[in-house]
Amino acid sequence: MKLAVVVQRYGASINGGAELHARYVVEHLGRHTDVDVVTTCAVDYVSWRNELPPGPEVVHGYTVHRFPVDRERDIKLFARRSDQVFEQSHSQQDELAWLESEGPASRALIDYLRAHRQTYDFFLFFSYRYYHAFHGVRAVGPRALLVPTAERDEAIGVSVFGPVFRGVRALMYNSPEERAMINAAAQNDEVPGVVVGIGSEVPATTEPLRFRQKYDIHGRFAVYVGRIDANKGCRELFEFFLRFMKAHPVGLTLVLIGRAVLDIPEHPRIRHFGFLDDQDKFDAIAAADLLVMPSYYESLSMVALEAWALGRPVLANGRCDVLKGQCIRSNAGLYYETYAEFAEALRSISENALLAEALGVNGRGFYRRHYAWPVIEQKYLDMLEALQAEDRAGVQLRGVEPLPGWFARRKRVLPPAKEMLAQLPAGPVLNGGS
Amino acid sequence: MPEFNIRTDAVDVEQIMRQIRARIREKRGVDYTEEQIQELAAVKLEKFLDAKGVRSDLVDQFRRTRGATPPPPNYAFEDTTLFDSHRGIVRWIRGLLKPILKLFFNPNTLIHVLHEQSRINDIYAQRFGARDELDALYYELVHNLVLETTRLGIEVKNLKMRVESMSSRLDFDERRARALEGVVQYRPSTAVPRERGREPAAASTSQDAPPGNATSAEEGQPGTAARRRRRRRRGRRGHSGTPTPRAEQGSIASAGSVTVGNESVADEPSDSGPSSEPGDDEPSGGSFPSDL
Repeated sequence: MKLAVVVQRYGASINGGAELHARYVVEHLGRHTDVDVVTTCAVDYVSWRNELPPGPEVVHGYTVHRFPVDRERDIKLFARRSDQVFEQSHSQQDELAWLESEGPASRALIDYLRAHRQTYDFFLFFSYRYYHAFHGVRAVGPRALLVPTAERDEAIGVSVFGPVFRGVRALMYNSPEERAMINAAAQNDEVPGVVVGIGSEVPATTEPLRFRQKYDIHGRFAVYVGRIDANKGCRELFEFFLRFMKAHPVGLTLVLIGRAVLDIPEHPRIRHFGFLDDQDKFDAIAAADLLVMPSYYESLSMVALEAWALGRPVLANGRCDVLKGQCIRSNAGLYYETYAEFAEALRSISENALLAEALGVNGRGFYRRHYAWPVIEQKYLDMLEALQAEDRAGVQLRGVEPLPGWFARRKRVLPPAKEMLAQLPAGPVLNGGS
Repeated sequence: MPEFNIRTDAVDVEQIMRQIRARIREKRGVDYTEEQIQELAAVKLEKFLDAKGVRSDLVDQFRRTRGATPPPPNYAFEDTTLFDSHRGIVRWIRGLLKPILKLFFNPNTLIHVLHEQSRINDIYAQRFGARDELDALYYELVHNLVLETTRLGIEVKNLKMRVESMSSRLDFDERRARALEGVVQYRPSTAVPRERGREPAAASTSQDAPPGNATSAEEGQPGTAARRRRRRRRGRRGHSGTPTPRAEQGSIASAGSVTVGNESVADEPSDSGPSSEPGDDEPSGGSFPSDL
């Protein structure tokens, strides 16, 4: 079986959520099947500037075909079109224009997929909301599988994605919440799908003491790992933690790991170490009393899974359905929606060693049951084999619905995507799923 | 504050979150979000304030009334206005006949009055314009004050609840203190006879001891040594996990903070569990032993 993984950016040093997800999948499925990567020359996800040379390249032993992006993203144009599609009544043509301005628009990449549709048995597309996935799925037809990496944001209410969700051969969801949301938005219940998620390269042993010595950390601490950004809920985290420190003048420190795009409050109990390599990151999580995950929008938090793999409890933002659902299903983390809940949950985990240990034990078990690599790999292989069996049996395939005609595309009859999003079911999925 | 009952194999996060929320409610009364406070200020203002003459939608009301009546335009009145015309010939003839008009009445007074009136109108229009800006600020200020007062009302309510809780705890502590004073008064009557029984031996020993060697004499007192041994034994018994009847009743004696004489029962440590901690005693939960 020959598989092509199609993703917006790819590289050993590219650590975005979906991109890292794609690389892990390539490197693990590559042990069982022949895998190529098809991607762009972009590195920066904001501008989509061509920074890597086009053509084939080998990354960690796998061939990567890179194609140039036609044009960099015009931020103002994209913002204007986003406003039109998300906030106002609009047409399908407006949505297609929004998608074009979002990027990374690479006609060469789509042409390559169309030309090589017979070369690969299946194409695994990552991130439904980008140009490559929308046009790529249409180019390869019934050979497309999709890893949507969908978050609960307005893009899910954009109508042109409905045919994509209904037209792919299968969907590999990250969480039951993501599945419920996409099923409600696209009415695609009959499309085969499985909640898979993603494993992580968690080391077998960690050295928490080494981390404490290296970074001069004493006492108990909570760790946040990820981009320090208001969009990730960090502003609220700082506000809550500063209030918590006023109420508890002695105790827990907050350790931040990741690139900061937000001002970090100056306080001796808030320590920022910037971007760390994997060893330091895992040692930090292992040394921490808990991991804090303040993000509002997550399709799957890999950092939370890593914390659970290392037996650490998680304190998550309860307004993120996925995180809340994972905490409840795993019984391995607490969640908060207000400051009072944040303070009380943080105090409970940090001061009650039995509770922290029990949550950590549950987290480790949850990770092993659902997110260990053998489990993930098997889910992918089972799905691919099932689809191959369908092909052999000559099952009639639907493909992606064609776009409407020139005039129909220009009728401004579509409601704002924000309104569509508001109609989708919310809250954690508690029965079934991983 | 009781901690969670943790079983590693059966942690229920939802249950823990319910307990956390219950604990928050216990601590702070009802928690209000910013939106709820806004809602309370707009809808249930009268619950927290004397709402006479105070509206919760002041700013909206102000903006509505302001937009409905735009100020009327002013006019300009100069000495030529009365005789003006867009036709030059008419204007010239009126100017020519002006001296004849002045024979009938004095138009200058009329012109002066109307000119002054126009100027006064301008001045007032400017003043009202400035006033409007100030009004917007005042209305905004009053609106914010209403919100803040609502917030403070809620806080006062919560603080009242806390004061009530603390005063009931204080009552309880006072009752406990009185009860302990009762123990102090009560113990000598039972302890004295025993002390008296020992006194002669102790006294005779001290008399035998040489003066200036009081310390060694005291160390050699059989009565004192016996008492020490007894205290140690009782201490061990208390730690052995067999609670005294008083401790089992959750008695004040089990608090273990008062020493009466040399061998008070109250001295003995208690194994009566978490309820014996002073901070955990609920005002209604503490019971005094009947013999106090």
